[in-house]
Amino acid sequence: MSHEPITRRESLKRIGKISAGLTLGAGLVSPLTSLLARAALPKPQATAAWLVEGVGEQPGYCVKTLTRKVFDAAGGMGKFISKGDVVVIKPNISWAQAPHLAVTTHPEVMQAVIELCQEAGAKKVRIADNTIHDAGRCFAVTGAASVAEKTGADLVHPRSSMMKKMNLHGHRLDVWPVFTPFVEADKIINLPVAKVHGLSVLTLGMKNWIGGVGGRRSALHQDIHQSIVDLAQFFRPQLTLIDAIRILTANGPSGGSPSDVKIENRLILSNDMVAADTRAARLFGKTPEDVAFIHLGNKWGLGSSDLERLDRQSVVL
Amino acid sequence: MKARHLAWLRRLSQGAFLCLFLFLMVKAQLPGDAALDYSRTFSPMDGTQQTAPSLLPDIRITQPVGLFFQMDPLVWLSSMVSARTWLAGFGLAAAVLLTALFFGRFFCGFICPLGTLHHLTGAIRPSLTKKELIIANQTRNSRRLKYILLATLAGAALAGMNFAGLLDPISLLFRSLGLALTAAAGIGLHDLFGFLAASDIKLLNYLGYGGEALSAPIFGYDNRVVETGWFLGLLFLVILFLNRLRPRFWCRTLCPLGALLGLCSRWSILRLEKDADKCTRCGRCTQTCQGAASPTPGEEWRTDECLICFNCAADCPEDALAFRFRLPFGMPRKTDLNRRALMAGMAGGIALPFLGRLDGRSDRALAADLIRPPGSLSEPEFLDRCQRCGLCMKVCPTGAVQPALSAAGVSGLWTPVLVMSLGYCEYACTLCTSVCPTGAIAPLTLAEKIQSPVRIGSAFLDRGRCLPWNGNAPCIVCEEHCPTSPKAIYFKNDVITRSDGRTLPVQLPYVDLSRCVGCGICQNKCPVRGKPAIRVISAGESRSLENQILL
Repeated sequence: MSHEPITRRESLKRIGKISAGLTLGAGLVSPLTSLLARAALPKPQATAAWLVEGVGEQPGYCVKTLTRKVFDAAGGMGKFISKGDVVVIKPNISWAQAPHLAVTTHPEVMQAVIELCQEAGAKKVRIADNTIHDAGRCFAVTGAASVAEKTGADLVHPRSSMMKKMNLHGHRLDVWPVFTPFVEADKIINLPVAKVHGLSVLTLGMKNWIGGVGGRRSALHQDIHQSIVDLAQFFRPQLTLIDAIRILTANGPSGGSPSDVKIENRLILSNDMVAADTRAARLFGKTPEDVAFIHLGNKWGLGSSDLERLDRQSVVL
Repeated sequence: MKARHLAWLRRLSQGAFLCLFLFLMVKAQLPGDAALDYSRTFSPMDGTQQTAPSLLPDIRITQPVGLFFQMDPLVWLSSMVSARTWLAGFGLAAAVLLTALFFGRFFCGFICPLGTLHHLTGAIRPSLTKKELIIANQTRNSRRLKYILLATLAGAALAGMNFAGLLDPISLLFRSLGLALTAAAGIGLHDLFGFLAASDIKLLNYLGYGGEALSAPIFGYDNRVVETGWFLGLLFLVILFLNRLRPRFWCRTLCPLGALLGLCSRWSILRLEKDADKCTRCGRCTQTCQGAASPTPGEEWRTDECLICFNCAADCPEDALAFRFRLPFGMPRKTDLNRRALMAGMAGGIALPFLGRLDGRSDRALAADLIRPPGSLSEPEFLDRCQRCGLCMKVCPTGAVQPALSAAGVSGLWTPVLVMSLGYCEYACTLCTSVCPTGAIAPLTLAEKIQSPVRIGSAFLDRGRCLPWNGNAPCIVCEEHCPTSPKAIYFKNDVITRSDGRTLPVQLPYVDLSRCVGCGICQNKCPVRGKPAIRVISAGESRSLENQILL
């Protein structure tokens, strides 16, 4: 990951002054001191790419248990989350549709990941997504509000005052409003759901970052693949966990009918977002050549679409 | 109980009901803590069982946000007369009418939150001087205006058009305060907190963000748009200001609900008894009289003007005044609604609906922008019942439901219409249908809305503006957001040759009208701003037999 145009450290420095109290707006308190401490964090070490797949085979298996097993196989959450970290989870909860319609991230996956982060000593876990439908409805209907209530995680209400203009230093995108929880995070975990999309073919991990920004998002579609890659290189999550418990195979990304849903009983976890997307694309019978943003992500060095070069594991429940 | 105590009891009651009104007004929005139990939507993960749409969750407001409308006899009676049907759920309104029969305008003095606001505005110091107050509180002929207005509203309702909501105090208050002034205050607060948050001083930062967190449950996180909101707010402020000229100007002169309750109060058994021998003509009773009801001994007390505030008896230094229960012996005094006023008012009222229909908006499918909330009755039935209270507009989570200025014609002023450039009708949302006090918007379940489906209009593509249709850029935003399954917007692939000779492969959007429900999210999200390249018109709406396109 050497082609990183802007580090989180740099961006933190830039907005540190203004963002000192930003979190309070969401009902959270984030003292300036911890922010400065975070600004001094070392840059994450580039490690070898790996990918863990979890498959639920028993009828009526527990989705939360499967999620935990996947993280266990990857070496445990403690390997990625340090004590005192502020972790931001980026699910896809952009549409106010019930979770069985495969339009949004499975709430039990979200819950298990948050609990794992808390067990690993995270100081604060936040759920952040700049939703498409009304945020309040998205939170209520997708199950995110229940998850936040059960786990004590902060569900950050997206609003214009929490969008901070930043230079993405992308190939196509430069200054763009970014949802501040991501800027203030120590660790980011991407938690997308796998769906079809009319323009980008699929929406997986990298495309999920359209929900990390504000502004004129509908204009991104005019160069969707490069925009996705620009956003993905900016956000660079620690981990990507693709929810393919059930996937949306038609009428994406909004879905709406149970007949569009296919049950896959699968979770894909990787530290390489391009690899995760490549693996998930196969569930739809697509190769990186079919999905231009995966191809571009590979080309720009965000990760590798060559699954054979990965350290791969599989867990079955 | 002494009159002094009664006056304090009245103040307590006024305060309590005003607080209740404000509380319910704030609660009239998507609940901030709504969290649905998602587990029931999951079928076993074997893929065989499909979840019935009836299991899809509906979000509802748990507080009775329509309570004040349900205790408003004018809302109840005008809708029933106009719609010529029985409306259930208005037991409290019937109770208010009954209390008026026995205790006069008790509602105006003790309950009405608009009356309380008028009372407060008139009493805030510096108010009029004592002498000025005695002059301002003389019974005036202008008091008759409210009866004429009531007769006009009744005439219009009889002729099949319901204008009561324009003047009904509860509707007026909710529309002005809940919609316009709350939104305006929200803009001011957002500016203030934004300014503080941008400060270099840490304490001000915290104040800014703390203020935002505290104010968001009431004013929302972002600025709200209310079309004609400036006018609604200004009108309300003017009506409030009139109290500085004469206390409770609105209640005495204009309020049709006050007139209705005044008519009922002719036989009230709660009466002001005056002892002329004790009276020293000091004028204090008139000075504090809220209704200009001639409390001074020697004058004829006006049951129908008295707001039962108990001020006169409480303030009389000689104890010359007392409220007592007495049967009204003999024929009560003639009401202010005399035959001439009744005839004039009714005639005007009956004429209004026909004038109102001249623009054709309510009769014919001429109004492309007349997009009503889902579940709305057919246009004439809708106008029979709609009180223009603004409850549906306040609860809409996307802010799409707006008070109409011209979209619904003159007879539909401030009735709800959807403006898709400001919001859209969220596919799986039925909140507005759950709050309408009179059923102008019939209650819908999510299953009914989606399965029927309930259409509120149809989307049409403006190919001249569409990006891919002109080879300007690939774009599928309308299709991406289209919420139906299968989607009403679909593509045909094409290759466009651009001005420089280069070719651009594009997906050209088409609308399948048989699938479109008119939700408007395509229009709302279209990257062509101002006048989007895809727009919704009312044609095809489920509620109309005539306003259809397809055979």
